[in-house]
Amino acid sequence: MKNLISLDSLTDIVSNSVGILIIFAVINLIHDDNKTYQLEIPLEHATDLSPAFFISKNDRILAMDTDTLFANAALQATSGGAASKRLFNLEYSGLLGQIDDEKGISFFARDTSEWPEFDELDKRNSGLRKSLDKLDPKKQFAYFFVYDNTEDGSSSGSGFEAFRKAREYLKRHAIKTGWQPVNSESPANICDTSFSRRCVYLPSYLGNGGGSTTSTKNGEKK
Amino acid sequence: MSMSRATRYARYRQDDRLEISLFPFLSIFLCVMGVLSFINVLSSYSAPQKIELTAQLETGYKIAYQIFSLPDGIITLPPTKNLHKLQAVVDDADKAVIDVILKQREQLIEKLENHTGSIMNAAVEPDVDDILDALHDIRTLNEIALKANYLYEEFILFGIYPNGSQAYQKIRDVMTLTPDSVAISIGLEPLDSNWTLSLKKNGKPSK
Repeated sequence: MKNLISLDSLTDIVSNSVGILIIFAVINLIHDDNKTYQLEIPLEHATDLSPAFFISKNDRILAMDTDTLFANAALQATSGGAASKRLFNLEYSGLLGQIDDEKGISFFARDTSEWPEFDELDKRNSGLRKSLDKLDPKKQFAYFFVYDNTEDGSSSGSGFEAFRKAREYLKRHAIKTGWQPVNSESPANICDTSFSRRCVYLPSYLGNGGGSTTSTKNGEKK
Repeated sequence: MSMSRATRYARYRQDDRLEISLFPFLSIFLCVMGVLSFINVLSSYSAPQKIELTAQLETGYKIAYQIFSLPDGIITLPPTKNLHKLQAVVDDADKAVIDVILKQREQLIEKLENHTGSIMNAAVEPDVDDILDALHDIRTLNEIALKANYLYEEFILFGIYPNGSQAYQKIRDVMTLTPDSVAISIGLEPLDSNWTLSLKKNGKPSK
């Protein structure tokens, strides 16, 4: 009987599969217990750099050409179209504008379908990448107005992921970034301190321009 | 020529040998493995990533006074961990000042720890006086540390959750009202709604 029924192959397969399952279980356990998030702690700093503005919404990023936007807004203001805080079309990627004594020019982003998706940062020669590459790190920094509203089922603000990705890209290119959360009630606005003390746009970074702390679930730092 | 009994028996045994087919076993095994792998892949893609943020956050000598901005308001999480060390190097007058601030902060943390249910539901509407007091405390502590030549500086770190910008904007507006905020560094970071704050494990100040 011993010579006729060989259990070798069966034992081999069973032990292999049990081993693999144990490895999977251990990996899952480690993965769950030590899930870490590299929490960036960028601090706002005063700077001589000038801001280049971007709006991040619905996983898309719009580079704001302030010369064109201000020219269009001025045109509306002189023609009376911007009176009494009336919304007017800036004729710039679906942006609507509003002129306010306290907030300067506010930009309402309603239709974002024409804006480039943040995934385009991975593509060479994409328009979004070109507009970020144009920034001169010695003269400019990127400032993002990031929409915090959530889409159905999403756990993230509609502009958060795009902003994080752009920030990472810009960090690799030594370009500083700053941001503020906005929403449809408090939209992006550009003004100077003659309007309000809040009209300050600062880049955020740590120390020499980079740095982070890794916080683990157990409170340790790496 | 007649065959021996042993030879005949061997031939008989060989013909009726019990054969074990591994096919059903392998079939079930591969099926189970496939289902397990599928569930694993599916859960890693669809299940929200759960991340816990630490209560005490510092980078070098800069200590975060964390304010989490949520749709319903804010959760304030002041640092306490290094205040005892600061207390040890300052004079008696400053020691008393730190003690008052420390007690207030510990009460605040205790209140959060005793909150029943998810800590993320403990958000409260930002109160102007509370914000002004917090800013004054941060400024006081930073000045005490500077005077004692001790490397300790608190800064405000805003964690902005989805739909949480309203409370953040309100605090930033209040900050323009007081000179206490001028010398305080500010940091802000976007957070996802499934990134929860862990208080029970890390929030206890070391004494």
